[in-house]
Amino acid sequence: MSLARALRAPAARAVYFVRTAIGGLRASPVTSAVAVGTIAVTLVLAGAFGLLVKNMQGFLDRLASDVTVTAYLDDTLTDQERGDVAAYAAALEGVQGVVLVSKEEALQRFERGSEGRAALLEALGENPLPASLEVALVPERRTTEGVRGVMDALSGWPGISDVANAQDWVQGYAGALSLLRAVGIGLGVVLALATLLIVANTIRLAVYARRDEIDILALVGASRTFVAIPFLLEGALQGALGGAVAVGGLAALYRLALPTLASGLALVLGDQPAGFFDGTEIALLIGVGAALGVLGSAASLAGGLSE
Amino acid sequence: MSGRREAEPASGDAPVRLYHVSKSYLAGTWALHDITLEIAKGEFVFLTGPSGAGKTTLMRLVLAAERPSDGQALILGRNVGRARRSAIPPLRRRIGVVFQDFKLLPRRTVEENVRVALDVMGTPVREARARAFAILKQVGLQHRRHHHPLSLSGGEQQRVAIARALVNEPELLLADEPTGNLDPDLTMEILDLISGAAARGTTVIVATHDQTILRRYRRRTLRLEAGRLVEDTPAVGVRA
Repeated sequence: MSLARALRAPAARAVYFVRTAIGGLRASPVTSAVAVGTIAVTLVLAGAFGLLVKNMQGFLDRLASDVTVTAYLDDTLTDQERGDVAAYAAALEGVQGVVLVSKEEALQRFERGSEGRAALLEALGENPLPASLEVALVPERRTTEGVRGVMDALSGWPGISDVANAQDWVQGYAGALSLLRAVGIGLGVVLALATLLIVANTIRLAVYARRDEIDILALVGASRTFVAIPFLLEGALQGALGGAVAVGGLAALYRLALPTLASGLALVLGDQPAGFFDGTEIALLIGVGAALGVLGSAASLAGGLSE
Repeated sequence: MSGRREAEPASGDAPVRLYHVSKSYLAGTWALHDITLEIAKGEFVFLTGPSGAGKTTLMRLVLAAERPSDGQALILGRNVGRARRSAIPPLRRRIGVVFQDFKLLPRRTVEENVRVALDVMGTPVREARARAFAILKQVGLQHRRHHHPLSLSGGEQQRVAIARALVNEPELLLADEPTGNLDPDLTMEILDLISGAAARGTTVIVATHDQTILRRYRRRTLRLEAGRLVEDTPAVGVRA
C-alpha cells in the first residue's frame, strides 16, 4: 500500500475532527466565549507578571555584568587632591581603570535619569551631589572577593567619604525578583486551576448537549477516542483563542499604560526601556492557552463517554 | 454493490451464533433465557414476540451493546461476551442498524447523517459524499440530501436511517421495529428496501410484532416469549 493511500483514512479523520470541533464552538457560542474569556484573563494576569519579570531579569543581567566600585569624594578636595586619590585607586591590584565624575557631571546624569525630579535639587540652591571615582575591575577580579578587596582598600582612604558597589544592590534586586517570580507562579497556578475547572465545565456541558449524537456515533462504530478527539480539539481552540486575546490585551496595555507607568518602572528598570514579548514568547503564551484548554477538556472527559 | 446471493446453510461462518445465551439485569429476572440459534450468511430473519419478550435485548446483544450473563454469543466471528471494549467499535462498523425512532442527528443534514458511518471509517470527504449520494438515490432521497431530518416525514426519516445503515455495505443489518412509527403503505416501502439488502447478500434480522409483515414476507421467524425462544419457523416458499 502506498504512503498516500495509507494516509487517506487518518487525513480524512483529521478533517472530520477539526470540522466537528469548529462546529462545536459555533453550536455554543456563549459558553465558548466564557471559556475563551476566562483563559484570556488568566493569561493576561500571568503574562503581565511574566513581562515584568522578563524586563527585571534583563536589567539584572545587565547590572550583574557591570561590576564597578564607586568611591564618593569629599567636597573639600582640591583638583590636585582628587587626582591623587584617582591615581591611588588606579594603582590598586585588580583595577582595570578609573573614571573621575565631577559634581557637575553627576548632576547632569541625575537630571537625565530622573525627569521632573531635578527641580528638587534646584530647590536646595547648590549641587549636593559629590564627585566620585568609578573603578572598573579586571575580568578575573569581578567576583565577590575581588570587589570586597578593592572596597576595603578604598574605604577610609583620605578624601574618600564613602565606597559603594552595586553588588549588594544587585543581590537585593535578585532577591526581590525571585520573590516576584514566586508570587507570579503561585498566582498563575491558582488562576490556571480555576481556568481548568471552567473549561472542564464548558466541555461537559457540550458533551451533555450532544449526548444523543455521541450515542449514535457509538452505535455506528465510533471508538471512544474518535468521539473524544473533537472535544479535546474544541478545548484547544478555546485555549488558543484565549491566548491570542490575552496577547492582544497585553499589547494594548503595554502601549497605553507604559507612558503612565514610566516613572514607576524607572525605579525597577533604571534607564532600560521596558520591552514586550518576542515572537517565541507570544507563541508560548498561546500554546499555554491551548494546553489549558486541552487539559480542561481531558478533565471533563475523564468521567467517560457512553460506549 | 454486491449481486444477489442465496442464503447459505448455517456453518462455522454464520454471522450470528448464540449458544445457551442468557441475559439478566436483576438477580432472578431474566430478559433472555437459554437462547441457542444460528443465522446463516445472507439469511433474512424476523424476530417476533409480544412486548417485553426480549427482542430488543437480543438485538442489543447482537450489536454488542450488551454482554450475555451466560452462554456464548459469536457475532461475525467475535465472542462479544469476552471481547475487549476496544474490539467493539470495529465490529459495529460491519453492522448496520435501523431503529424505530430513526436516531438521526437533528443538527446535521440528511447527507451528513448518512456520511457519519463513513466518517467513522476514515473515508475521504469526496468519496463519502459520492457514496452517500448513491445510497440516497437508492432510497429515493437524493434530492433532500441538504435538508435537515426534522423537515422530512417519518417515512423519509426512516429511509435516511436505512441509507446510513447500508452505506458501508454491512455484513449484518439489524432493524428493531423499523416500521413501528409508520403507516401501512410506508411499512411495506421500508421492508422492501430492507429486503433489497438481503437480496444483495447482507444478513438481515428484523424485530417486529407486526403480523401483517410476517404473513407477507414469509421469512424464517424466531418467536420469543418471556425471554425464551419458543418457535423457529423456517421460511415458506421464499425465492432467494
